[in-house]
Amino acid sequence: MTTTPCIIGAAALPVGRYQAPRDADIQTLERELLAGVVIEALADAGIDKSLVDAMVFGLERDYPRQRYFGTFMASYLRLPATATLAEVTGNGMTGGLAFDQAANEILLGRARVALALGINLETGIPTDEHLDNTMRHTGDVDFHTPFGFTPISWYAMDAMRYMHDTGATRAELASVAVKSRAFAVHNPLAQYRTPLALEEVLAQRMIVEPLGLFEVPGRADGAVCIVLASEAVARASGAPYLRLRGRGYFHEGAHQINEVPNDMTAYVAAEAAGKAAYDDAGIAPGDLDFAEIYAPCTITEVLASEAFGLAPRGRGAAAAAAGETGPGGRIPISPSGGCLSRGHPPWVTGLYSFVEAAEQLRGRAGKRQIVSAHMGMIVAELGNYNAALVHILEAAR
Amino acid sequence: MSLPTIRRAGPRPYPPRVSQFTATFWEALAAGRLVTTRGRGSRRLSFPPRPFCPYSFEREVEWSELSGRGTLYSHTIVHAAPRAFAQLAPYRVCIVDLEERLRVAGALVCAGEPVIDAGVQAAVLMHDDGPLLAFQQ
Repeated sequence: MTTTPCIIGAAALPVGRYQAPRDADIQTLERELLAGVVIEALADAGIDKSLVDAMVFGLERDYPRQRYFGTFMASYLRLPATATLAEVTGNGMTGGLAFDQAANEILLGRARVALALGINLETGIPTDEHLDNTMRHTGDVDFHTPFGFTPISWYAMDAMRYMHDTGATRAELASVAVKSRAFAVHNPLAQYRTPLALEEVLAQRMIVEPLGLFEVPGRADGAVCIVLASEAVARASGAPYLRLRGRGYFHEGAHQINEVPNDMTAYVAAEAAGKAAYDDAGIAPGDLDFAEIYAPCTITEVLASEAFGLAPRGRGAAAAAAGETGPGGRIPISPSGGCLSRGHPPWVTGLYSFVEAAEQLRGRAGKRQIVSAHMGMIVAELGNYNAALVHILEAAR
Repeated sequence: MSLPTIRRAGPRPYPPRVSQFTATFWEALAAGRLVTTRGRGSRRLSFPPRPFCPYSFEREVEWSELSGRGTLYSHTIVHAAPRAFAQLAPYRVCIVDLEERLRVAGALVCAGEPVIDAGVQAAVLMHDDGPLLAFQQ
């Protein structure tokens, strides 16, 4: 007998800078931050900790000292697991994979309640030192990294190519940062909440051309816990919850660039995973009330919006500039404020997306609430969208 | 044919690892030749070079010389650099489609503004400790 995995609770730290420098007398302990979030999430779900049968952690960065962090936390929280306890990884996809694996434990009937959780601490590490680490995550360490590629340099090259192919302007791309901030102003979990004008975005120094400081994500820490449950447990709570309606995945068998020339800006993995998820859910893109998309840079959101069928091919930047993906728009994208303004603690960013879905689909998103939001799409991706993991969630109340 | 060589003082900022197998690639590049592997049966080229063909999974591969000619697919200038590359920043990098229908990445050397879809020529950036692949426009 199968059940539908549901989200019954969620909690997260406001995205920000928590990690102390390595030489500071007082350190920030990952265990303390995440434990607080777990307790808050279980309180939000309204259930006792004894119902938790599974915990799936997104793998931590290697900066915090404690390793085997999942089993350590089970001890710290005194939480035994009858189904599974695991740490999963997939770079930017990590948060999405943690959710996916937790959902599987519900789906298989092994767990009544499963936690998908994680913490990303990195801001105590200087940016150039951090880049020495992350430059090894994208591309090929022997055939790409020796030239100095950084993770977002690949997105920058997407932007160069996209502007060349479509005639889109940098200002149109930059408008994504403006609309992201317009959402984040009303999100208490967001890292950047002061209103932002297009002129300010365009005036920033270059990071990777043509992307300036406000068109790429800032450094951030964060911690999240999502509480998943079988539908029987969800119904018994009597409170609004979310049902997992569909799921799609695709990895294109290429890492960063395909050695066979293709249209790099088409994001084929997003298109394939999106189609699989729409088919699984029995819906079309037009049925979505919002999409919460893993998109570290302005260009990434534009290309993903096209690949998921939320904007016509080549028109994603223009659609964003016209307000179609912003507050009150035709299809709001990342109403949390997204990677650019909600903030981007990369290995838990995917989990923050589910927090936003839980807020929107339970009607608790305050001034950024999408009116009568019933169905939303959550996307995690792995480096220039060589892979995408898509979940479609619907409100049950 | 020999690729143009550009001398660069000092060691490579982040040198690639060399295996017994890929040494053929790096030694050829130092000598001004761009080479990669091709499946004996499948006849398909792949890049980076591998000790097997990723299409047919045959282990019999042969080395094949590439022309070094291609077109610029995309490019950027990295301003915010890793610590290892701090001395170089800002610097240009690119993606190139070679005429043998292989997509590769490298350093980009050009005097003016790069032109997407225009021709590029592979070159060797010869550092004190070894070569890197670059493209000139």
